[in-house]
Amino acid sequence: MDTQLILFNGFNGLIVGAFYVLMALGLSLILNLSGVINFAHGGFLAVGGYLAYTLTPYIGFWPSLLVAPTLTAILGVVIERTMVRRLYGRDPLYSLLLTFGLAFIFEDMTRAIWGAQGVPFAPPEYLSQPISLDLFFVTYYRLFMMAVVFIAVLALFMFLRYTRIGVRIRAGTLDLETVSALGVNVRALRTLNFAVGIFLAGLAGVLAGGNLSLEPTMGANVLMPSFVAIIVGGVGSLPGTLVGGLLIGVAAGLTSVWFPSASEAVIYVIMAVVLLVRPRGLMGEEGVMT
Amino acid sequence: MVQSGNRGIIRRRRVLQVGAGIGALQFASPFIIQARGEQSVKIGMIDPLTGAYAAVARSEVEGAKLALDQVNAKGGILGRKVELLVEDSANDVGIGVQKARKLIEGSGANFIFGDVNSAIALAVAQVTAEKKVLHIVTGGHSDAVTGTDCHWNVFRVCNSTVMDGNAIAGVLMSKFGKKWYFLTPDYAYGHSVQAALVKQLEAAGGKWQGSLTPIGTPDYSALLIKAKAYKPDVIVNVMGGGDQVNSIKQYVQFGLAKQIPMGGTLFEYESVAALPDDARSGWWTYEWYWNQPKTPHVADFVAEVKKRTNQVATARHWFGYVGVHTVALVSNQEKTLEAPKLAKALEGFKLPPEVALTPNPAIYRAGDHQLMSDVFVGQAHPKKAGGDPNDFFEVTDVVPGEKAAGPVAGCVLKYPA
Repeated sequence: MDTQLILFNGFNGLIVGAFYVLMALGLSLILNLSGVINFAHGGFLAVGGYLAYTLTPYIGFWPSLLVAPTLTAILGVVIERTMVRRLYGRDPLYSLLLTFGLAFIFEDMTRAIWGAQGVPFAPPEYLSQPISLDLFFVTYYRLFMMAVVFIAVLALFMFLRYTRIGVRIRAGTLDLETVSALGVNVRALRTLNFAVGIFLAGLAGVLAGGNLSLEPTMGANVLMPSFVAIIVGGVGSLPGTLVGGLLIGVAAGLTSVWFPSASEAVIYVIMAVVLLVRPRGLMGEEGVMT
Repeated sequence: MVQSGNRGIIRRRRVLQVGAGIGALQFASPFIIQARGEQSVKIGMIDPLTGAYAAVARSEVEGAKLALDQVNAKGGILGRKVELLVEDSANDVGIGVQKARKLIEGSGANFIFGDVNSAIALAVAQVTAEKKVLHIVTGGHSDAVTGTDCHWNVFRVCNSTVMDGNAIAGVLMSKFGKKWYFLTPDYAYGHSVQAALVKQLEAAGGKWQGSLTPIGTPDYSALLIKAKAYKPDVIVNVMGGGDQVNSIKQYVQFGLAKQIPMGGTLFEYESVAALPDDARSGWWTYEWYWNQPKTPHVADFVAEVKKRTNQVATARHWFGYVGVHTVALVSNQEKTLEAPKLAKALEGFKLPPEVALTPNPAIYRAGDHQLMSDVFVGQAHPKKAGGDPNDFFEVTDVVPGEKAAGPVAGCVLKYPA
C-alpha cells in the first residue's frame, strides 16, 4: 500500500509541477530579457481566470481558453508600455516595487469587478471526471492541463529556437546591448516578450480556474512556488525552470504522504539547499545574475 | 539578466526606504461611513477586508452598516448619532492590534468589533481589556475567545468551534459511521475544531486519521490520495474560505463524492456560492441561514440586505447586524457608555426577535459571554429545479445554542476593581 501511495503521489506531483512550470516560464521569460521580477504575475493569472469565467457563457470554454489569455496579454502590453518600460535599465528594485504595487491593485480590481466572494467556474463536465477508479486523481481535466502545458512549452521552445524573434530574445537575454547595437528594435522585442510571458500567466489562470477556487487572492498562492521553481532550476535557464517546477511539485506531493503540514515548507528547504550547494541553480549558468 | 556596472545592485538604504514606505501605508486614515460631528458615538470595526477572508469580512461590515442605519433612524445611542469606523486588519495580528490602538486612542472609539481571524480577535481583546472598551467579536471562532482567554469586556456573536463541532458530530456518526479522515487547516481555528470533533468521536468509540494542511494550499490531490487509502466512512473537511472551495472542487472532480461522503462544521454561504453547482454537497453547520420561512422578521432582513448589496444575506451579515444592535440596545437600556456597566448588563441579555432572527431565543451567556444562538445543521445541495436559485442548503435540525455549547469551560471572568 505504501509503495502505491508513494507512486501515486510522485505521479500526482508531476501534474502539480506542470502547472507551476507554466507560471514559472512566463516569469522567467520576463526576468531573463528585461530584468523585471514580476510580482504582478499572480494578478495577471487571476485576471485570465476571471475573463474566462465571464466569457465562457458567451463563447464557450474552448474559445475562452485562447481568448482570455490573449486579452490578458493585451492588458500586459498596455501596462508594459505605460509603466514597466520606464523602469528598464534601472535598479531592479524599482520594477519590483511597481509590480508589487500592481499585484495589490489587480487583487482589488478583481474584487471590485467580480466581488470578494469567489465565483463558480467549472470546465466542461466530460473533463471533470477521473479516467479510472484506481487512478482517481488523474482526471481528464488534469490530463488536459498537462497536454496544454506540454504544447505551450514545446511551442515556446520552438519559438525561441527557430524563429528570428525567438533567437533575438535569446540573444538579448545574453547581451542586450550588443543586440541593440546590431539594429534590433529592443523596445518592441521586450514588449513582445512581456506579452508572451503574460499570455502564459493568463493561460495558467484559465486552467487553474477549473480546479482551484477562482477568487481575487488565487494568484498569491501559486506565485511563490513559481519563483522557487525558477531559483531551483537556475535563473536564466528556461529548461532549468521546467525541471525546477516539476521537482518542487513532486517533492511537495511526496512530503504530504508523511508530513502534510510540511508540504509547503519543503519547497523552500529545497531552494535553500540548492542555493547553498549550487548557488546558480541546477541548470543556471555561472554569473548570469548580478 | 545581464547588467553592466552597478545598476543591478540593490542597495541596503533603498531596501530600508521601501520597507518604511510599505509600513507607512498601514496607517492610512480610516474609511468613515458616516461623519456627524463631535458628539457621535463611535464603533470601531477591525476586519480583514483584504486577503483570504475578504469576502466574509465585507459581509460583516455590510451587516453592521445596515444595523447602523436602523439605529440612527431611531435616534442613535443616547440620542447621539452613531458612526462606524472601519479598519482593514489585512489578516495580520500586528496590524490588527495597531488598528485597535489607533481606533481607541486616536479616534476615541466607544466600542470595538472584530476580527474574522481568531488570532487577531484574541490579540485585539488584550488591548480592549486594557483600555476598558466593550469588544464584540463578530466572527472569530476559536474556543479561546470565550474560553481560556476570555475577558470581562469581550462578547462573541458567532459560535465557538465546540458549538459547531458538537452540533454536527452526532449527525456524521449516525449517518455515515465512526471512521473519519480529517482535512484540517494548520492554525488555531483548525486545531480547535478538530479537537472538538475528535473528543465526540472518541467518546463514541470511533477512530480517525487526518492531515494538518498549511493555509493557502492550492492542491489537495496528495491529501485526497491519502484520505482514500484510509477508507474512511466520511471525510471531515474543516478547511475555510478558498481552501475549502479548492479541496471540495477537487474531491468532486476525482469522483470521490460518489464513494466517500463529506461533512464538517462550517461551510459558509460565501464559500458554497463559489462552488460549481454539482460540487455543493455534504453535511454541515450554518450559524445562521437565510431561508427560515417560519421565523418572524427574517424575510425583512433578507430583503434589506438584498436591496443594499444585491447579495443573499449570510451568517456574516447577521454577525455584524447583531453586533451593532447589541451595543445600541444595551447602551440605551443602561443609559451609559461605560464598558464595565454595559458588560454586566449584557450578561444574560436576551436579543429581541427582530435582532435575533432565529427560531429559539438568543442570549449572551453570563459565564463566558458567548451568544447562545441556534446552530443550523443540514445538507448542502445543488440548485433545485423550480426552487430558489440562492438556496443551497436544507436545514434538517436546529440545535439550540445551550445544547451545542455544553457547560462553560475554561473561562474565568475578572472585572476591573
